[in-house]
Amino acid sequence: MAVTATKPAARPSTAPASRPGAAAVTAGLVLLVAVLAVVDITQGTAAVGPAEVFKALTGQARPDDASVVIASRLPRMTAGLLVGAVLGTAGAVLQAVSRNVLASPDTLAVNAGSYLALGLVGATGVSLPMIASSGVAFAGGLAAAAVVLGLSGLGTGTVRLVLAGTALMLGLNSMTEGLLLLFPEQTDGLYQWNQGSIAQNGFDGVLQMLPIALIGLVGLLLTARRVDALALGDDAARGLGVPVRATRVTVVVLAALLSAAAVTLAGPIGFVGLCAPALVRPLARRFRGFARSRTAMPAAALTGAALVLGSDVLLRTFVADDLSVAVPTGVVTSLVGAVFLVVMALRLKDTAGAGAPDRLRIPSRAVFLTTLAVLVAVLVGLVIAAVLVGDSKLLLGDVVNWAQGRAGRTVSFVLDTRVPRVLAALCAGAALALAGTLVQAVTRNPLAEPSVLGVSGGGALGAVVLVTTAPVAGTWGIAGAAFAGSAVTAVLVFGLAARGGFRQNRLVLVGIGVAAATTALISLLIVLTDPFNATKALTWLSGSTYGRTMPDIVPVALALVVGIGVALARRTELDLISLDEDTPRLLGLPLGPGRLGFLVLSVVLSSTAVACAGTIGFVGLVAPHAARALVGRRHVRVVPVALLLGATLVCTADLIGRTVIAPAQLGAGLMTAVIGTPYFLYLLVRSRR
Amino acid sequence: MRRLLLTAAATTAAALTLAACGTTEPAADKSEKKASEALTLKDGKGTEVKLDGPAKKVVATEWNVVESLVSLGVDPVGVADVKGYTTWDTSAPLKNEPKDIGTRGEPSMDTVASLAPDLIVATTDLPPAAVKQMREVAPVLEVKSADGTDQIGQMLDNVDLIAKATGTTDKAKTIRTDFEAKVAEGKKALTEAKMAGREIAFADGYVTSNQVSIRPYTATSLIGEVNEAIGLKNAWKMKGDEAYGLASTDVEGLTALPKDVQFAYIASDEDKNSTPFTGALTKNSVWKSLPFVKAGDVHRLNDGIWMFGGPRSMEAYIDSVVGALTK
Repeated sequence: MAVTATKPAARPSTAPASRPGAAAVTAGLVLLVAVLAVVDITQGTAAVGPAEVFKALTGQARPDDASVVIASRLPRMTAGLLVGAVLGTAGAVLQAVSRNVLASPDTLAVNAGSYLALGLVGATGVSLPMIASSGVAFAGGLAAAAVVLGLSGLGTGTVRLVLAGTALMLGLNSMTEGLLLLFPEQTDGLYQWNQGSIAQNGFDGVLQMLPIALIGLVGLLLTARRVDALALGDDAARGLGVPVRATRVTVVVLAALLSAAAVTLAGPIGFVGLCAPALVRPLARRFRGFARSRTAMPAAALTGAALVLGSDVLLRTFVADDLSVAVPTGVVTSLVGAVFLVVMALRLKDTAGAGAPDRLRIPSRAVFLTTLAVLVAVLVGLVIAAVLVGDSKLLLGDVVNWAQGRAGRTVSFVLDTRVPRVLAALCAGAALALAGTLVQAVTRNPLAEPSVLGVSGGGALGAVVLVTTAPVAGTWGIAGAAFAGSAVTAVLVFGLAARGGFRQNRLVLVGIGVAAATTALISLLIVLTDPFNATKALTWLSGSTYGRTMPDIVPVALALVVGIGVALARRTELDLISLDEDTPRLLGLPLGPGRLGFLVLSVVLSSTAVACAGTIGFVGLVAPHAARALVGRRHVRVVPVALLLGATLVCTADLIGRTVIAPAQLGAGLMTAVIGTPYFLYLLVRSRR
Repeated sequence: MRRLLLTAAATTAAALTLAACGTTEPAADKSEKKASEALTLKDGKGTEVKLDGPAKKVVATEWNVVESLVSLGVDPVGVADVKGYTTWDTSAPLKNEPKDIGTRGEPSMDTVASLAPDLIVATTDLPPAAVKQMREVAPVLEVKSADGTDQIGQMLDNVDLIAKATGTTDKAKTIRTDFEAKVAEGKKALTEAKMAGREIAFADGYVTSNQVSIRPYTATSLIGEVNEAIGLKNAWKMKGDEAYGLASTDVEGLTALPKDVQFAYIASDEDKNSTPFTGALTKNSVWKSLPFVKAGDVHRLNDGIWMFGGPRSMEAYIDSVVGALTK
């Protein structure tokens, strides 16, 4: 590759005429942040308004008003400023070095790693000093980032990077949520903190985090020129004498440091790291000055600060004081960020074409049949184990007695409650796997999955709305509400992303935005209607087969039967659609209706699965990938293998969740991610060779 | 490799099947024992609960009903989160070693079933799906945990209801008279100490990371009502939730409390995160500048008083708060 050839085209920053423009925009951002900061100081639960704040700042206030301003308002404002700036910068540089608009502390699992590390410390009941806990958070975040970057390979395909990051994030977050459910007393309030809140107890925290943040920020500014070189491509950067690997490692370590500081100070405030750089990017096109990292980084930092402070101000303006304390800042940043993200995604000129299809060998028929046989054997064994094992162990004779209706009281009760749970897990897993297979085929997007795209989240939101407003909602009511929620989000996501034909980044960005918004809305709904029942929210969000009875399984089972029928009948069409845009057209296949049909089917599948077992993420993402890796990409093979894998995964998860910490239990969704993550990462590693 | 996997899977399946043969319980012989003193009760949800006779083997899914059972002299065979109960509710300590049936939110059906209880005492906070399943094992008495319009009445009614189901109504009468005597005793002590009519703010709180959350117990909470009953005034102005009467605030929110308020809280030494008032807040200048903090009117009550418990917890609360205010 000719290094020199790319140089003029990719260096837009050599347009000196627009410098004043960039300066003006920066000044505008500074002004915005300043205004938001001042407004934020005047808000709070104490009766200390603008007048008192002004007096306090000029040293004329009564001592108690002054102490509110100094010990509560100013630290909160500073924390918001710091957290926003730090996350914005981390996101900007991570996106620059990975050349990936989806990279951020959230998607590289840095936040999740830090959070898990802190959660582990919290669950042990040890209270560490702030600086030590930020060290723990840094170690966790860095480890997670190292795993993601190590697995995806530094500087190789962006899709792999995000796949690995998202997978690890899901797995780690599930483990943390498991801790929250397991140690509800020790981690009381950690759920709220999980959403992120910038409230502070005095200046101590901010002061301790400030040096760390400064080290990170200054370090990143020093690497800015090298980061710019990396934007040209690895070869070009090497041609310019930039050490590619060293630069990437340095930047990731510094970004992890920044995220760890933010997590320690305020909990994981989602989306700022993804959104702030996304908001700055269009500026770079208009004002060339922002194309340089050295100017783009501060701009992203300012935008991040504006996002966090703006969310806090918004919350405290529109929600009554006492309630606004209960609503975490992170919920609002997620909502604000989600809207911004969707808007940005729509305006994004998506140059990234569909990722190169996974390079897969085409396995022989024998391999396919063997795989199928092994999976069936595993599933059968698993179902037997799942029925027999639980808090009380049973033997097959009990099951035979039960099936013949002559089991004793205890056995028949245990099986009456256990069998529906096993069936629910099997059906939900299979349905999600099929939904994932269909969506990935139709959108030709390896990241497309009902839960990543917000379809599952929409279903859960619909169900939670119904459950909180009508406590006596029945099975079909919940399934209907879940379907309505899923359908609305699906129409929204696919409708918005359809312009320009489901481009890779746009679809996933819109989907992630909507998914985050639904999660935030569920949290908000629970906080506002039933503030002391975080467990309820977690149970819904984590997916659980607890308390399922036979009638609850009917909707998903029906959807599954229809789904399997359609998928197998139209397998050739699926093969063609998943290939590329042109082949089906050349063959005279009408693309629109077919696609729509498959999408509707996958929405029905995922919403009934949600109604049956809550939001179980990950299955829809992992199962199709794993199936393709095992048996190639023809759908006649992929569909059965994916179905079996999905059922196996959720059934295993449910079994483990019910037994390992019995009599307490963990949701299947949590266990799915915990089990699915290592397997998925293994697949990523294997396919790299 | 694949063949190996296949063989392994098949062998495992076969081994599993062989090992799992047999039964753990003989097939049912369908012999129902007829009880002499069958009784029917109406529970907190208005559901009719039929019992063959006073229940002896009882499982409880919430700490408040565990406390009621223990104070009625009925030792439950199954209790949700036994460790939590022993930490947070020491007013009616468990006399036996009940089986842990899992979390309070999602008690394990398997374990409940394996205990083969005569009666399950649950609260209306349990998901309806779970209650539906439990009814298959044993009659379920759903007790209304809290009622913002009459907390004390609800608490005593719950004791009566559980007493009826367990044949311990005599003991329930004693509990009621003991409680009323304790209220009167507390009221008298406060009047003598010229504390009657003083404003009190009871709260608990927790620390996570560098943040302090405070949970005020408003006038419609159980503790709020007990405070009024012994002649104190509730100082919280915010509205709590409908059932439990709890609100939420932060340190700033405490500036709205009256200057001469008495501030009381309960924490647990077992749980460092639940003690902000002696830990994280001691260096906070908002907290330090609060008039009642300066005046030393902050009282830590005894550990192990469950704020949502039954009469025994509330008696312990009255002792503790009266002791603190009349010191």
